[in-house]
Amino acid sequence: MFLAIREMKHAKTRYLLISLIMVLIAFLVLFVTGLAQGLSYANASSIQNMKADYLILQQDADHRLNRSMITEDTWKQIQQASSDQQGVELNPLSVKMTSISRVDDTKKIDATFFGIDPEGSLAPVIKEGRLMAAGADHEAVADKTFADKGLKLGDMIEDQASGQQYELVGFTEGQSYSHTPVILMSFKGLEATEAGRPATVGSAAYNAVALSGSKTIADQITNKVQGIEIVNKDTALKGIPGYQEEQGSLLMMIVFLFIIAAFVLAVFFYVITIQKMNQFGVLKAIGAKNSYLARSLVLQVLTLSLVCLAISILLTYGVAMVLPDSMPFQLNTSVVAGCAVLFIVVSLLGSLLSLFRVVKVDAIEAIGRAM
Amino acid sequence: MSTVMNRATDHLNKQIDNRENRAAKLAGARGSAANTKLLLQNISKVYGDGDTSVKVLDQISLEVKAGEFVAIVGPSGAGKSTFLSIAGALLSPTSGQIWIGDQEISQLPEKKLNQIRLDKIGFVFQSANLIPYLSVIDQLILIGELAGKSRKESHAKAVQLLRELGLGHRLKHYPDSLSGGERQRVSIARAWMNDPEIILADEPTASLDSERGRAVVEMLADEVKQRGKAAVMVTHDHRMLDLCDRIVYIEDGKLSEREM
Ligand SMILES: Nc1ncnc2c1ncn2[C@@H]1O[C@H](COP(=O)(O)OP(=O)(O)OP(=O)(O)O)[C@@H](O)[C@H]1O
Ligand SMILES: [Mg+2]
Repeated sequence: MFLAIREMKHAKTRYLLISLIMVLIAFLVLFVTGLAQGLSYANASSIQNMKADYLILQQDADHRLNRSMITEDTWKQIQQASSDQQGVELNPLSVKMTSISRVDDTKKIDATFFGIDPEGSLAPVIKEGRLMAAGADHEAVADKTFADKGLKLGDMIEDQASGQQYELVGFTEGQSYSHTPVILMSFKGLEATEAGRPATVGSAAYNAVALSGSKTIADQITNKVQGIEIVNKDTALKGIPGYQEEQGSLLMMIVFLFIIAAFVLAVFFYVITIQKMNQFGVLKAIGAKNSYLARSLVLQVLTLSLVCLAISILLTYGVAMVLPDSMPFQLNTSVVAGCAVLFIVVSLLGSLLSLFRVVKVDAIEAIGRAM
Repeated sequence: MSTVMNRATDHLNKQIDNRENRAAKLAGARGSAANTKLLLQNISKVYGDGDTSVKVLDQISLEVKAGEFVAIVGPSGAGKSTFLSIAGALLSPTSGQIWIGDQEISQLPEKKLNQIRLDKIGFVFQSANLIPYLSVIDQLILIGELAGKSRKESHAKAVQLLRELGLGHRLKHYPDSLSGGERQRVSIARAWMNDPEIILADEPTASLDSERGRAVVEMLADEVKQRGKAAVMVTHDHRMLDLCDRIVYIEDGKLSEREM
């Protein structure tokens, strides 16, 4: 458009400076978003990658996996409740947060034990080695971050709390829980860590049951079985210790960045608009319509934010490439696209104030009157 | 007794009003035939309301024909700018009618007025009325843009106008690198860009010394004559008056024609 482009060309420095600010803000938005996603993955990839649609938890457990208890009795009821349905898969799961060390080493590593049925669908995808045998109670498969910490196949690891020892028979990946790598073993293996403790009446057999199936099935189970709650994976993620706090504070940063972007643009265009009041009067006097001037302004805002977005997206991917692997950073296209759309919407919102002023300018301003 | 009298005079007044209205309409109809470019009928303008209201213009009428260059003079605060704003469809009068060319505009909504200004009126303002980020040639092309004309057509016309006004060597300059006189000449060229019925100028020479000012007004007068259009100029500078065809004096809300 005639006016918009000529003005931006004429006032290059001004628009370059604001572009620089917008690039930095957009970059920060994308970077923090990538970080939030990366952290989310590093925190709880075991839940994200779990082959299940819902998790059945104990009621009043605050959606917390490690606080929830499913007794043998309840487990049977759950199985019965859905026995008449097709396409349902139920897999119990036990979770125990602990720390381990290699038998011949004293260095402790935080880890989370997952007790699963090695023949069920929660069995991990093996990257190296093999799956633990179904009946074996002292074999384990660990997330491959343990390999980075110096553990090898065949090493013996020891649970610090119980002193139980397990042989590492395989490595998997994408298995973390509450920022600790996961070690998977059979239920029998996990039960061994409880050995020696007084068995309480009706003690927990499992922490949760993973459910693959439709919403109707989930509802049916909820109705039939007392004392349980069925949550989707998102809710379960929030129940991981620290997950919500971590994501919440990052989300707050992102929201603030968007607000800052809106304000920076709003103030910039507002100040420029105020400076140009007299010009707008002249333009209207010589016949420029409100719609023409409004389109001109919107075009400037759009050009500015699109160019800044493009630069900052390139910048973000550039920086992501040089980041070390250990840095939790993950950015997929759909999230970038979402951010970009939001950024443009926010920019346009920021220009509303100026639009309002432009529309309100009276053509009469152009003619000198006794004030 | 007195009420009867009042009623009688009321009746008489109404008759006179009616006759005047008819006359006005006739004048309007005749106007286009006789090449009336601007016609103002019984224009009043009251600013504010209640206790603070000021009647700036009181039942003013003026007709400007093709080829006429009219000067408006009067003391400061007399209502010259107000008058010009009303004639230029920038301000609506409290009462009265305005014809520009053969179109009555006093009842039109703001959107239509915009179009009238774009199509039929050329403005030359006091100063600082060029867009700072447009080059001289673009200042004129903008008018074509607003009217939806093709870029090529506008460009050719702009170059021709600027040459006529002696600005052929300044096409790519920005307003801040022009002298005051050059800027006003660009304004005048811009005012002609849409081929208006009438040019309205509010103190176009206020920011110029008298020699430059005179040159600018001379150009304006020449163009009016050549194109057979009309112009109304508000001025404080009595040395310009000999360049005008008529001089109209505004004082106390009334208009009076002065002989040269
Ligand atoms: N928007 C307004 N509201 C109230 N009064 C106004 C307004 N605009 C102008 N006036 C008053 O109307 C009168 C005429 O103003 P106008 O600007 O038309 O004068 P002028 O003849 O152009 O004066 P000058 O030669 O100083 O430019 C002045 O008394 C002014 O105070
Ligand atoms: Mg004035």
